[in-house]
Amino acid sequence: MILSLVFFTFSFIFYLITALVYIANWFVKKKWLGQIATTMAFVTLFSTTMVLIMRAGESGHAPFSNLFESMVLFVWAVNIGYLLMEYRYKFKSLGAVIMLLEFLAMLSASMLPYRFKSVEPLNPALQNKWHFMVNFLEKFGLEKYAIGWLDFHVFCTFIGYAAFAISFGLAITYLVKNKYEVKGKTNYLLDRFPDSKMLDELSYIAIAWGFPFLTLGIVTGAIWANEAWGRPWSWDPKETWSAITWLIYASYLHARVTRGWRGRRAAWLAVLGFLAIIFLYWGVSFILPGLHAYA
Amino acid sequence: MAKAKENKALHQKIGSGIWKFFSSLKLTITVLILLAFVSIIGTVVEQNQPLENYLMAYGEGWTKFIVYAKINNMYYTWWYNGLILTLCLNIIVCTFERFPTKWKSLLKHKPSKFDATTIERFSNKRTVKLNAGFEETREHVEKLLKKSRYKTLKFKSEKDEDFIYGWRGVIGRFGSDITHVSLLLILFGAIIGGFYGYKDFKVVYTGDTIRVPDVDYHLRLDKFWMEYYDTGQIKQYNSLLTVVEDGKDVLTKQIWVNEPLDYKGVRFYQSTWGNAWNRVKSANIAMIGKDSEELYSVTDIEWQVLTPIPNTEYNVKLIGFAADFAYDEASNQVFSKSAEPENPAIQIEVYRGERLISSPWIFVNYPGIFPAIPDSDEDIVFGGYMGVLYSGLSLNKDPGVNIVWLGCSIMITGFFLTFFIYHRRLWVHVRKVEGGTEVSLGGLINKSNFVFEREIENIAKKLQGDNKK
Ligand code: HEM
Repeated sequence: MILSLVFFTFSFIFYLITALVYIANWFVKKKWLGQIATTMAFVTLFSTTMVLIMRAGESGHAPFSNLFESMVLFVWAVNIGYLLMEYRYKFKSLGAVIMLLEFLAMLSASMLPYRFKSVEPLNPALQNKWHFMVNFLEKFGLEKYAIGWLDFHVFCTFIGYAAFAISFGLAITYLVKNKYEVKGKTNYLLDRFPDSKMLDELSYIAIAWGFPFLTLGIVTGAIWANEAWGRPWSWDPKETWSAITWLIYASYLHARVTRGWRGRRAAWLAVLGFLAIIFLYWGVSFILPGLHAYA
Repeated sequence: MAKAKENKALHQKIGSGIWKFFSSLKLTITVLILLAFVSIIGTVVEQNQPLENYLMAYGEGWTKFIVYAKINNMYYTWWYNGLILTLCLNIIVCTFERFPTKWKSLLKHKPSKFDATTIERFSNKRTVKLNAGFEETREHVEKLLKKSRYKTLKFKSEKDEDFIYGWRGVIGRFGSDITHVSLLLILFGAIIGGFYGYKDFKVVYTGDTIRVPDVDYHLRLDKFWMEYYDTGQIKQYNSLLTVVEDGKDVLTKQIWVNEPLDYKGVRFYQSTWGNAWNRVKSANIAMIGKDSEELYSVTDIEWQVLTPIPNTEYNVKLIGFAADFAYDEASNQVFSKSAEPENPAIQIEVYRGERLISSPWIFVNYPGIFPAIPDSDEDIVFGGYMGVLYSGLSLNKDPGVNIVWLGCSIMITGFFLTFFIYHRRLWVHVRKVEGGTEVSLGGLINKSNFVFEREIENIAKKLQGDNKK
């Protein structure tokens, strides 16, 4: 019995429940429903954390070395990001959108073929550890849990992806809500979302978090590639696509700051950016040839 | 003025035209999006493939175009790098255009005019009325601003009125400039690496010494070995390398994938491994009579070691190996068609006593095809061999890489300043009114209005809340 997969199944169900409770709370705004929703989000976060911990124990390395594991890391990061946002800005209605995205991500992870889910030993290029950490952990006999640039690279990248996913959710919400507002219509469900100026702003803030992390991810990836392959950058499709998404978000930031793009145009760019992320993450792995083992 | 403009020489006009082109912020977005877009092409059309592959995938017409526009090696073409260069010029010109004014205005940001109507013009503002006395409130406001990490300045102080200006996070405004400079630095590092560095690849056997370009030392491979998981998957491959300088061993280090050796600006990476196609550790040979199937005097001979065949008058030396034997008539050379042991053959020197009598190639798959010993009833057959592994080492000298890393750290710092440090300016008007004191505050933030609204709200609340106690 692989415990991580048991926890995965739990998390899967929990995300479904969490999404449903948030949606219910969005439809019939009730204080107790909102409290249950947030509680469920925490329960789900705990369960997802357990998937990662169990996975690390089972495989003996950082739990993000294949597509399946990285998906769990992704939903985990989105969950934390969402909870932080909910705590800070107090908008539970947005949970309906984000948790639905979370559930869809879990669904796609669960549909991956089994060979992605099984625990695999690391191939030589993926064994990258920081010396100081190995030396330190050796004292306790735990050196196999040391991490390196590679783990750091994946981790940062996924924090970035998570932030972009949130900005995507917000941008979509903005676009739908704004469409109604422009027509002068109202809709009690859309009214429960923050006003569209706020959505626009939040979407920017999410990107402002995602962009430095994506950059850090690309840079640490280059440091690792320089150690494993002897060159920091080799224009392999994954690298190139990461540069493409980076350029798209850079143009988003510039359009916003220097040309005053707000609202719909900015939201569409945020959507485009996230579509590029999806391609970078899944498309490149399955469609384009290259050196990267996965994510 | 207008006249002077007309009289400008042509080259000046062109010069200012170019300057204007590169100072455009529309250009920035255009180039960023264009770069993103054309980069996609290079990920769809596989790079650096043999011509046949393109012909097969795209047909003749498109292949011609691909080769003409160098889309098969796109990231190194003049037009792709031209886009990057445009980006750099754009950054440089924009920085020259905008930075000096920005610098001055940020250093001298203190308001030149501040009166009772100033605050009304801000969209972020609050007015609260307190029961507390004027002096007390004034001090309280300053304390609160300090606590929120504002620097403050008493703009004007009158008898019943105080104008306080506070600011915070000016440095955040320079984040974007730092980012831009770092980008130039990264590209500069990449160019330096391209011009003054090199990449090389060497196939090295245990015991071999290799020459390293551009430096005054040699490198010796002492040992190469593999490690496996219990499942049989390869876990890691390792080389033990020794640096030899002036004939002396100066440094020995074990390298593996992810753990290079760095010596005097050159890095040695474990990049591949493989079975040698042109040498072996030892070979197994035997004697056979012309008309018999019986083997006798079976023996193993080591690479390049003269070895007697037991109970015969012959000595042999193993001098060549081809994993997949092939013969090139034009150059009269033997070579291996591939690295796979499809048709293994060895070359031996055969000595009768001390005298070299032949040096034939003999084959595992075709025993006796060429007699190894001329004019004799005996022959030598090749039974098998112990292969050797080679270590594939990449050599890389990249004097620009540290500039690149420096640029990357600066860039991350720039992002931190840009995205997490907001520049806020706060105007506070404290005024004695009937039955207490009135405080109006309002101001500007360079981004994230929401954060600022809340901050103003909080300050107002604190002023009131603390006062109630
Ligand atoms: C084509 C060359 C570029 C030009 C001319 C340019 C110009 C500018 C200008 C004028 C600003 C506004 C500065 C301010 O108001 O403080 C800005 C902001 C910024 N630029 Fe660039 N930029 C270029 C390329 C890039 C690239 C490639 C990056 C990559 C990361 C970048 C990152 C930023 C960031 C992070 C900001 C701040 C955005 C914000 O405040 O949200 N720039 N840029």
